[in-house]
Amino acid sequence: MSALTPPNSEVDLAGAMRAALAAYSQGPGSGKGTTSDLSMDEELNLHAIGWEPVEFVTGLSVYSTPPMTWSWGQGEISAASYSHEQAFQLAMARLHRQAASVGAHGVVGVEVERSIHASHTEISLMGTAVRPVGAAAIDADHVFTSDLSARDFTLLMLAGWEPLGLAAGASFVFAPRRSMGAVMSQQTQNVELTNFTEAMYSARETAMERMQSAALAMKGTGVVEVKVFEGPMYFASHAVGFTAWGTVVRLREEQHRHVSPTMVVSLDDVDIAFSADTLG
Amino acid sequence: MTSEPTDLPEAAERRMTSGAFTSGLSVADFAACLEMGLEPVGFAQGFCAMQWSPLGSSMSNAMSPYRSTTGGGYSEMFNCPHGFVSNDHRQWGQNYEQTWYESAWHTGFDAALQRMVEEATEAGAHGVVGVVDSQQVMGDGYLLEFHLSGTAVKIPGAPALQQAPFTTYLAGQRLAKVVEAGYAPVGVVATLSSVRMWPFCITEYQLHGSGLSMFATGVSTSEIDQVVRAKSYSRQIARDAAKHALHGDSLHGARVTTSERELGQGEIDYHTVIRGNRIRRFQDFKALPVPQPTVRLS
Repeated sequence: MSALTPPNSEVDLAGAMRAALAAYSQGPGSGKGTTSDLSMDEELNLHAIGWEPVEFVTGLSVYSTPPMTWSWGQGEISAASYSHEQAFQLAMARLHRQAASVGAHGVVGVEVERSIHASHTEISLMGTAVRPVGAAAIDADHVFTSDLSARDFTLLMLAGWEPLGLAAGASFVFAPRRSMGAVMSQQTQNVELTNFTEAMYSARETAMERMQSAALAMKGTGVVEVKVFEGPMYFASHAVGFTAWGTVVRLREEQHRHVSPTMVVSLDDVDIAFSADTLG
Repeated sequence: MTSEPTDLPEAAERRMTSGAFTSGLSVADFAACLEMGLEPVGFAQGFCAMQWSPLGSSMSNAMSPYRSTTGGGYSEMFNCPHGFVSNDHRQWGQNYEQTWYESAWHTGFDAALQRMVEEATEAGAHGVVGVVDSQQVMGDGYLLEFHLSGTAVKIPGAPALQQAPFTTYLAGQRLAKVVEAGYAPVGVVATLSSVRMWPFCITEYQLHGSGLSMFATGVSTSEIDQVVRAKSYSRQIARDAAKHALHGDSLHGARVTTSERELGQGEIDYHTVIRGNRIRRFQDFKALPVPQPTVRLS
């Protein structure tokens, strides 16, 4: 039995291993090496729809936020929202340029790392650049970015859709001060702090709207796998932040193609499945 | 099998050639290896403790944060636009690659890897699968211990290798998939880059809001160029080193870890480590049927 084919298929895995050993003994070939952080399952998924990994690519930006930005105030903390927006866009532009320079058409499985400090915002993007097998290079402006895994990218393409890019929105808002009277009267009560609740709603609406505007600018019809992060800032407890990002998608074909999944009842016991604690 | 002399301890040679095998494989991975015709012959390990100099390659570095570029690595200067202000004002900054640290890291990793491979060779193995590597800081922070371990395997009846056994982080089903997809495991690849940033006045102000006082009004909100360049070069250097180690083969399952450590006076070390499996295609890719989506009922 083999790892890739149904149980009844005749695959000589031991024979394949001997052939692999022979290839190893012969020394390196003249191939043009690729780098990828995909698992073999993901790479096979890509190949099944005619795509291949090209290169592991990264893009990052660190954007400053002016001093005193987080001091008490009212409404949105525009300078912080602007820093986040700029950092995301610059990191994305670098990722696109790097992907285009290696002849890729897109980047899948993008890992988004984000850190917000009082003085700056940092955005880091890492993923594997991919292209249709043997396709010619395209302009950086047309390279797509997606935080969908290669498996989800495959499923999306099979359903007749395509990813267009990552859309992000962020907003940081001051929670208004409570009056001294309100503080005193609420001190001994279980009470909702409506100033924080309202600030969170305000940040949420602005951030989600920005993300949706970014999706529309890409001519997308929707955003999938939206991730949201919200809460008070660790360095400014009177301010709350809301950030969201996801993959913008558009119907590639005339209409959605139903993938009609087959229902299966697995007889495997998950506890005894093959596993390796090393890299997959 | 190579006949070159090794620096294996005598006890290790005896142990590796004794009758009973040892293995770091789980039972499931052990079963999958047997399915591939791989027979475990021993649990191979390699260690190396490396020290590196905190002063770099020159004693003159102890006198100044500035590093000369004679090491041949990346180095870049950033000059203050304000002229002389005070002794505390950072009139210049520098990003530089810490080539001596990178060299110590690679020497330590490669030595531990080679020692693990020597043990496998001694046991007559064709490869080492399920490699696990770890590093631990020892003592005063300038000592690093490298430890690599994996299960040495052989293919009964296959001719002895003229070179060292292959190595791979993969084992079990994952290795089986790689082989069945037409790739041969070649070796584990691990590279590190280390870039240190000594911030000049603008960077110091943008990162910490200090160091500029009356000049701050002239600094606009912008990208912190020195940090971006230090981090970007750190990643690029590690990636270039990984590609250099491939010799035309491919890197699969790469894992990138980045870390930063703030030292005194605003200095920051940026490290990037890339690990992955070097693989070589031995048969043309056979197109798979389009995957059929399933819904698991449980």
